[in-house]
Amino acid sequence: MAVASPVLTPAGLEPAFDLSAYYPALIYIGVIVGLAMAMLAATHVGYFLPFLKPQRPTKVKQMPYESGMDPIGSARMQFDIKFYLIAILFLVFDVELLFLYPWAVIAYAPGGDPHWKNIFGTIVFIEILVFLATLAIAYLYAWRKGVFQWR
Amino acid sequence: MPTFNWIYTAIFIAVLVGAVLNTVAYLILAERKIAAWVQDRLGPNRVGPWGLLQPIVDGGKMFLKEDVIPAHVDKVFFLLAPMVAFGTAMLAIAVVPVGHTVPPPLPMVSVNPPAYNAPDTPVQRFEAMQKGYADQFSFAIAPGLDIGILYVFAVGSLAVYGVILAGWSANNKYALIGSLRSSAQIISYEIPLGMSILGVVLLAGSLNPERIVANQIDGGMWNVFYMPLAFLLFLTSVFAECNRLPFDLPESEQELVGGYHTEYSSLKLGMLLLAEYAHMITTSFLMSCLFFGGWHLPGLTTTNDSALYGPWGTAIIHAAVLAAKMFCFIALFMVVRWTIPRFRFDQLMSLAWKVMIPLALLNLVCVLLILQFGWPWWSMTVASVVLFVLAGAWGVWSGGNVTAPKRKVRKLPPGLPAGVV
Repeated sequence: MAVASPVLTPAGLEPAFDLSAYYPALIYIGVIVGLAMAMLAATHVGYFLPFLKPQRPTKVKQMPYESGMDPIGSARMQFDIKFYLIAILFLVFDVELLFLYPWAVIAYAPGGDPHWKNIFGTIVFIEILVFLATLAIAYLYAWRKGVFQWR
Repeated sequence: MPTFNWIYTAIFIAVLVGAVLNTVAYLILAERKIAAWVQDRLGPNRVGPWGLLQPIVDGGKMFLKEDVIPAHVDKVFFLLAPMVAFGTAMLAIAVVPVGHTVPPPLPMVSVNPPAYNAPDTPVQRFEAMQKGYADQFSFAIAPGLDIGILYVFAVGSLAVYGVILAGWSANNKYALIGSLRSSAQIISYEIPLGMSILGVVLLAGSLNPERIVANQIDGGMWNVFYMPLAFLLFLTSVFAECNRLPFDLPESEQELVGGYHTEYSSLKLGMLLLAEYAHMITTSFLMSCLFFGGWHLPGLTTTNDSALYGPWGTAIIHAAVLAAKMFCFIALFMVVRWTIPRFRFDQLMSLAWKVMIPLALLNLVCVLLILQFGWPWWSMTVASVVLFVLAGAWGVWSGGNVTAPKRKVRKLPPGLPAGVV
């Protein structure tokens, strides 16, 4: 099979981007979605083949399950604001992680142009320390504000 | 097979999906047997010899049970949730190596590239390397993906949608509380999960799991020896992500009946349970590859195994070594379930936010400093151990205030409070 010709980047000669490497993953996604839909269809087979699995809905079966008690009020209730704060904080830290991944891949990778690395290595090192320091300040602020305190 | 081939991909997907589904079935039996062994019982032993046919009967029973869709549920999301849970759990294994793998060639440094037409140029040598790589066979569904680990985490973080959809659509108080707890837990532990892996990525310089495995084999040292603290954080986060016992708040049977899958029945419940076990298998493979050298076992496997055992022998031995490591982790999962009691919810959150995230961040800074200044490899191990000891010392010094904060107890006036008859 033909191999995509390499390209020249600051890291050296690298394989060109090849979409065919992603085809197996895409096929796999299709297979899994199909399998999930098939399983979901199989569980409802009782509607068409009542001799295979029973399908006898009763009034009690259709009620919300609360350990035998009759449910009081709706389940669409208000919940604690803490969950919302956790979600917001998660967003902050997860986006920060997204910034760190590309850096982690390229920073100390084997190969690469030594000339290029000499110039930018130290700058990037200091920059990433500053980035982590700002993150740490935000983290300490959240701690002092008591966001991590589960009351 | 890094070169895309319909037939190989189809066969590999069929074999791997079948293997995962069957392993899940037998893991449930193993879980029950281990539980029985811990509690001094016999466990399932009626169906087949030693109860070995039990999973088949369980599967049949799950399929033949009545499928109840209660009247009060949100039907679209109620049906979507098991699909999302099952799909995300199964999808994550696409890039994880399950046997012998070969990494793609490294970038080739050429400061002054000669003319492209000259004989034996770097370009030609690199193309030869690429051709050699394309003829290799890799035991992963999608080998050679540069986004590797990122794909696993991206798909894994979608799992929270399955949980929250299941809990919300069921319109049941138990399910809602369970799904809220579960989603808070999963997103909290995703941060140390992603952060602890950054050190490994820094060391290997790639997100490709095959490259990370090859890096450990070439260096002759598994990552767990470089960064034991990162492994510990990763392991803990994985327990939380899989909702395994010290962290099984979402479905704490004694408080919330079944948590987010209270209202599910028949094969839909089966899909939700299957998703949890599939998640365990994927993360166990991932831990073996990232921290325990993949198919590498000193004394048994080396990089030129194909000369020793032949291609088929190599494939079998390497897959067996990796599977053995995977099953060790599964056994750990199952034994821990019967060893450590469940956390309280505030302890769970404190552990994630006040202990694991700062430790993961400090671990990352240590690895960064060591790589920048070129200090020897063992300084990473020392830094990990020192950080771990310091964290423990701080915990003792603060009197456990970090994970179990002292609360102000308000003194009640004497007598019974108003409203109590």
